[in-house]
Amino acid sequence: MITLEYFGILVASLALYWCFQNSRLRVLSLSLCSLLFIWLLEPMSVVVVIGLSLYTYAFGWLIHRHPNESVFHGVGVLGILLVLILFKYLGMLSGISEAVYLFLEELPNFSLHQLFLPLGISYLTFKHISYLTDIKWRMISPGRFDDFILYSSFFTIFLAGPIERYERFSPQLRNVAKMDIKDWQEGSRRIAVGIFKKLVISNWLAYFLTPVWENPNSYSSLQALAALFAYAFMIYFDFSAYSDIAIGSSRLFGIRIMENFDRPYLAGNISQFWRKWHISLSDWIRDYLFFPLSRLNRRKFWSIFLVPVISMALCGLWHDADSRYLLWGIWHGLGLSAFQVYLQIKRKARPQAKKRLNYFMNRFGMPLTIFFVFFGWLSFRAYGFRLAVRIFMDPWALILIPFTFILLVFLQDLFRKFSDILSKIHWRFEYTVYTLILVLISHCAVYTGFIYAGF
Amino acid sequence: MEDKLLEFIREEFLEDPDQEIDIDTKLISSGLIDSFSLVSLQSYIEQEFGKRIPAPRITAESFDSIRQMVEIIKQF
Repeated sequence: MITLEYFGILVASLALYWCFQNSRLRVLSLSLCSLLFIWLLEPMSVVVVIGLSLYTYAFGWLIHRHPNESVFHGVGVLGILLVLILFKYLGMLSGISEAVYLFLEELPNFSLHQLFLPLGISYLTFKHISYLTDIKWRMISPGRFDDFILYSSFFTIFLAGPIERYERFSPQLRNVAKMDIKDWQEGSRRIAVGIFKKLVISNWLAYFLTPVWENPNSYSSLQALAALFAYAFMIYFDFSAYSDIAIGSSRLFGIRIMENFDRPYLAGNISQFWRKWHISLSDWIRDYLFFPLSRLNRRKFWSIFLVPVISMALCGLWHDADSRYLLWGIWHGLGLSAFQVYLQIKRKARPQAKKRLNYFMNRFGMPLTIFFVFFGWLSFRAYGFRLAVRIFMDPWALILIPFTFILLVFLQDLFRKFSDILSKIHWRFEYTVYTLILVLISHCAVYTGFIYAGF
Repeated sequence: MEDKLLEFIREEFLEDPDQEIDIDTKLISSGLIDSFSLVSLQSYIEQEFGKRIPAPRITAESFDSIRQMVEIIKQF
């Protein structure tokens, strides 16, 4: 995203967009610039975007107009999912079919080949499913095709989200009358912060931690644990940097895109973490998977255990057809289930026990969540298993892990004590901070791609 | 409608049924009600008032207090 193509298209599309007074011409120019951006990166992806948008928009009208809305919704969503499977999961299905053939050689073997992977396909299909479902739920009407094609292709959020909803996106295309200096201030600030997070923080962290992840046996268990913690911050800074640039760039057009992060590593429990991490994806999972699945069955085992695990497993697979992401999703699903069990116990507990549980969660909730989430990252990245072995198979782990936990409790207390002062310092020296950011970007930048743009 | 919702939330979700809540109490953003409880609340509203509220409307921004819930229910 921090490329010549991106910023070239950004400047050109801003110039065109604000040249026009007519909102339809603005939308048209921005759509064409967005499609041009996609074409520059991967020409065939433009065909997929336009084709899928025509398909989804047609089904949007069928759902809106026809009395058999559920049937059209089902067929429409199924078609979108098939596109996702065709492009993204065919490779995984191929692996499964070959494994079955090796196991039962009498079966006819058929070969499936991974097609090319269109850019932003996971984000695009999720946006389209939410569009069709919101029409079915009578929350939105299909709107105009030029708005919808811009919603599908808007280049600032195309590659890695946030997964914006049509309901929030489309009214803004009509409301923007003239340029607002506040939008430009906020947009530029977010872009600068995003570039700083990516080029200075995330990429430098990656520079130091990558050798440890790739060859953990050459390092001590303390260094391996430090590399795990560094990775947790690297992935946060990498992805939130992308979101900052996307949100900031959109703001230059007067378009407000939903926030994707809200200080996730300060969450007091795993449920709160998922309201703060990749918010647009977790909201999507909650609205279109978790709620509908929960309504299928009233049994507690289903709603407390199976639904979170299934929802989060699919969330993991959404990243890529890889067992690492599946494991990561199941890990988080189990964490959400465990937290629900804790809440059920607390609800039924006596007042004294309830007080103790509340104290425990208030004191240790954040460090526990950090441990849970950070160890979950072990299955998210390649070589994670080797790093886990290095950390846990060392006798020092018996001292190192409890020590780290106590350190986190101490840091949490320190943060709570000084959070007010920190926020005041931030505002007082705002412009000094931004100047420093720009200086650091110009002197310390390291260039690599974004992690989440690969999904 | 407000009274029924108050009664249901107090009985089903509050850790302490004697806890004081009113129609403006923040329920989701304060952590009194979580996502799992919201599914039960969605079903209750459907059974009691015959309105199915779509999940994207059941958020801390638009469905946080009983007053907001009533407004949303009236829209559907």
